[in-house]
Amino acid sequence: MADQSPAEAKMAELIVEALNLEDVAAAEIDPEAPLFGDGLGLDSIDALEIALAISQEYDVQMQAEEEHTREAFATLRSLNQFVESNQKA
Amino acid sequence: MSKETVSALITRRLDSPICHISRPLRVLAKAQGYISAATFLHHVETLSKLLPDGQYAVNLCGNRYLFMLSMCAIILKRQTNLFPPNKNPATQLGLAQRYPDTYVIHDGTEIAAGIENINLDQLPAQKFGKRAENTVVPDIPSDHLAAISFTSGSTGQSKPNYKSWHCLMEGAGINSGYMLDDSLASGQVVTTVPGQHMWGLEATVMQAMTQDICMSDASPLFPKDIQALLSQLKAPRILVSAPVHLRAMVMSGLAFPQVERVLCATAPLDVEIAEKAEACFDGELREIYGCSEVGSMAFRRTAKESEWNLFSQIQMTQSGDITIASADHVPEQVEMQDMIRFTSSGRFRLNGRQSDMIEIAGKRGSLKELNAMLMKIEGLKDGIIFLPEQNRTVPRLVALVVMEEGASKTRVNDYFRLHLDNAFVPRPTIQVTALPREENGKLPRKNVLDFYKQISSGT
Repeated sequence: MADQSPAEAKMAELIVEALNLEDVAAAEIDPEAPLFGDGLGLDSIDALEIALAISQEYDVQMQAEEEHTREAFATLRSLNQFVESNQKA
Repeated sequence: MSKETVSALITRRLDSPICHISRPLRVLAKAQGYISAATFLHHVETLSKLLPDGQYAVNLCGNRYLFMLSMCAIILKRQTNLFPPNKNPATQLGLAQRYPDTYVIHDGTEIAAGIENINLDQLPAQKFGKRAENTVVPDIPSDHLAAISFTSGSTGQSKPNYKSWHCLMEGAGINSGYMLDDSLASGQVVTTVPGQHMWGLEATVMQAMTQDICMSDASPLFPKDIQALLSQLKAPRILVSAPVHLRAMVMSGLAFPQVERVLCATAPLDVEIAEKAEACFDGELREIYGCSEVGSMAFRRTAKESEWNLFSQIQMTQSGDITIASADHVPEQVEMQDMIRFTSSGRFRLNGRQSDMIEIAGKRGSLKELNAMLMKIEGLKDGIIFLPEQNRTVPRLVALVVMEEGASKTRVNDYFRLHLDNAFVPRPTIQVTALPREENGKLPRKNVLDFYKQISSGT
């Protein structure tokens, strides 16, 4: 498994918290593994919950037509990159 | 009761837009913007001639315009649309086995191996060409089986609901009387729910076919996308949604353009969210109560009233706790899964559900069925799926599993994902060494809840 950066570790905590993933340890989420499908197996309701938590924590609004949702949410790493690059300076 | 033997495919104005295309569609030579009902009819007739032979077509189109187009082309070819509860390849295979002579029509979805399919996203654009000067609206026999919609059962075979053309069109007429009004006559509709679900079908597609409204082809999920889309469309605006999406919108803190009418399926919707939504959109929110068998049946203005107003065309009769719904346009009588208490004629309250039934993100399922399925999983020694009290907007099932030696719970998770609608996939699935069964083997709910509390508090 690739190492989590400190920012990714914080994002992992947020995901576990927002989704009540009691059986997943935040530190064990591989930043390069898929969050949806075969990875954590998240769905669109989860995407909404995560988006809400992100808007409250980072003041970033997720935006993606349905078919592109998976790209923004592909991995912990891509999600964190998306948020970092959309955060107001 | 008398019914016409045929009725028109669409009963709206032909010269006004039926759909707004938000992003260029390859199959329509990158058409974008407004599409008139007349052009739509031309597309329907063209596509209908390109469809494979067959009796049934699983309609999986995600783009709402392509969904409506395929649906009508299938009906025009006197075939029957199948609307599955989800797009999973396993669901497709199940339908193809159950309904031989079936093909799948889609716009770029993963298709189960070995199933005949037509991908609209790969159809050459020139097939559609220019439309003729005179538009003739085709007639459809009233008794044609236009669609079978499947109730999102929790497991196994979902229940088919047969929708004749007469039933769809009558239902559409009844619904528009309660969902829309004169001030919304040329309204523009944005929606977050798929056309394949009865709620999405009734509140968007069937309304666009029978009223002079225009629906967006997009399926936005995030509040920011919904805001962008609403801003693209002209007033008056109509938003068709579900509680989980509405909550995300009002909590986002975004400023939305005015939405004169918000229609929300019930799950139910919190009064607080309903009040916030009315403020946020500066419009009236109507929550709609219905079931897949009958369709929409009652509404309430949730911010102002707690009781439901039964549509006058729907009848409910009661005996004890059981309520049976019926309507002239629906072939069968349906036993409701909710406890319904009438307070006066035509007004009622919902008093919870029958105990085995659960509802998650608008989908209804049975715990009994889910647990029966769980026990079929290879490598599982013992297990239970239950719904604990939890502090989340969308509750989630929890699974406790005891695996045989050497088997991992990954197998259980994989099985869930393959066979269950997302909403019913337990979260979390916790592997334990034994369930808190009593000596006689019984597993009281209290034991399960106490045990789960213990595990999740980390002791």
